[in-house]
Amino acid sequence: MKNLILAEVYKLFKQGKTYYALGAIFLIEIIILFSAYSQGQGILDMVLDNLKQSFHFEGNLLNGNLLSYLILNTLWFHLPLILIVLISGNLTSEYKDKTLLSVMLQPVSKWKFILSKYIVAIVFTFLIVLFLALTTFILAYSFFGYGDLIVYLDGLNFFESSDAFKRILWAFSFGAISMIFFSVVSLTLAIILEESTKTWITGAFFLIVSNLLIKVNFKNYFLDNWLYVKLNDTWQYFFHFSIPWNKIYVNTFILSLYIILTVIIGIIIFTKKDVGK
Amino acid sequence: MTIRLLICFYFYGICFLNAQNIDKDILKIQQRMDTIESFSAHVKLEVDISFVNIPVKHARIEYAKNEETKVFSEDFVLVPKKGLDVSLYHLFKNPFITVDRGSEIRNNKPYKALNIIPTNKKTDFSIATVLIDTSTNRIIEYEVNTKKDGSYVVVMNYNDGKDLLPSDIEVQFEIERVRIPLKYMGKDAQIDKDTYKSDEPKTGKIYLYFNYTKIIY
Repeated sequence: MKNLILAEVYKLFKQGKTYYALGAIFLIEIIILFSAYSQGQGILDMVLDNLKQSFHFEGNLLNGNLLSYLILNTLWFHLPLILIVLISGNLTSEYKDKTLLSVMLQPVSKWKFILSKYIVAIVFTFLIVLFLALTTFILAYSFFGYGDLIVYLDGLNFFESSDAFKRILWAFSFGAISMIFFSVVSLTLAIILEESTKTWITGAFFLIVSNLLIKVNFKNYFLDNWLYVKLNDTWQYFFHFSIPWNKIYVNTFILSLYIILTVIIGIIIFTKKDVGK
Repeated sequence: MTIRLLICFYFYGICFLNAQNIDKDILKIQQRMDTIESFSAHVKLEVDISFVNIPVKHARIEYAKNEETKVFSEDFVLVPKKGLDVSLYHLFKNPFITVDRGSEIRNNKPYKALNIIPTNKKTDFSIATVLIDTSTNRIIEYEVNTKKDGSYVVVMNYNDGKDLLPSDIEVQFEIERVRIPLKYMGKDAQIDKDTYKSDEPKTGKIYLYFNYTKIIY
């Protein structure tokens, strides 16, 4: 099992796609920083327009914490899309190149092989989010400095700089679990669909539908609280003025169950599948 | 000659009447406040607006006679445009007349109520109502109707019977709800349709607690 995991790690870092993905993430950060630099003050002026009638503002809100928060918002779509392409591509390329068939001809357990892919996908997703968080903090704080964070979530919430940093850090940590969910789903889709284009389209469709459904009120307790789409925004709860820790713990627990369930389904499908056809 | 005398008498009468229209108690307060040359203080700010959540903030203020109060802070702070003027510089800086409005009760205690009406068009308020504690010669509350920024009420509390400057003040003001285009809203942001449809301005409050570090008379 250890050797299988090491082999998967080797394959992941050997393929050019991985570095393209890292480059894409870095480029997205630069674009967000640039657009925030050029338009950020205008947006802040608009958000604070009503308050300006009654208040003077002392201090700068266009700072590293706001920029980090804006980059954090790539967890909605940009980052999961990159992960879907990258993680699923790790298996679909093996189907395409017939290397999967070669591996299966060796005395390798099918469930151990695919489980090692899931484990590497989960660890890699954590590393990608860590890379995003680190580069975000370095870029945002070096160019924009520190300051209070303003977030609009059912009102204007202001957080002091140190508090904002902690909240963003927590959001990245818990956001990583949402990213892991999308990664394991994409790998499971790759097991089912085998072909890369079909998997990417289905994965992207899954992501779009998830984003669309997040605002839908189903008026059903189970659907509104337990459906996976309602759990993927858990990292946003860190920007409520009072952090609802219980809700975060429950959501994370349920989302973890979804991840485990998806992995189990993927393993079952893969072990029953004739990969040599 | 007679006409000239009549005109002189008329203008003298106007001056006399105006002088009569400034309440003695408010003049006493104005004279007391005029004795303050400058002061500085640390201020704790608490904002109470339904749609704004902001932690307690700290700032430093500096006042010099006949100048606007200056605010300094390392943090981001919301500084009220009106009401920070504990020296009452804005109320008294332009010529005014007063109209006696009897008395009003606050905390089961009667206070003298007066209207301050500026006689100078440059003033940024049209009328102010002040409640005076005649026993201590201090204003304990005033409401200002500005020409551009609506009205605001300032309630002033004092530590000691002799203090000229308040220990803490409460500023009440009208504020419209923030309207943000959907594309700038977080995905989790819920819209309360009734609140959103409502055009009624909300009332906001800000509490300022002063710790004076230097007062020069």
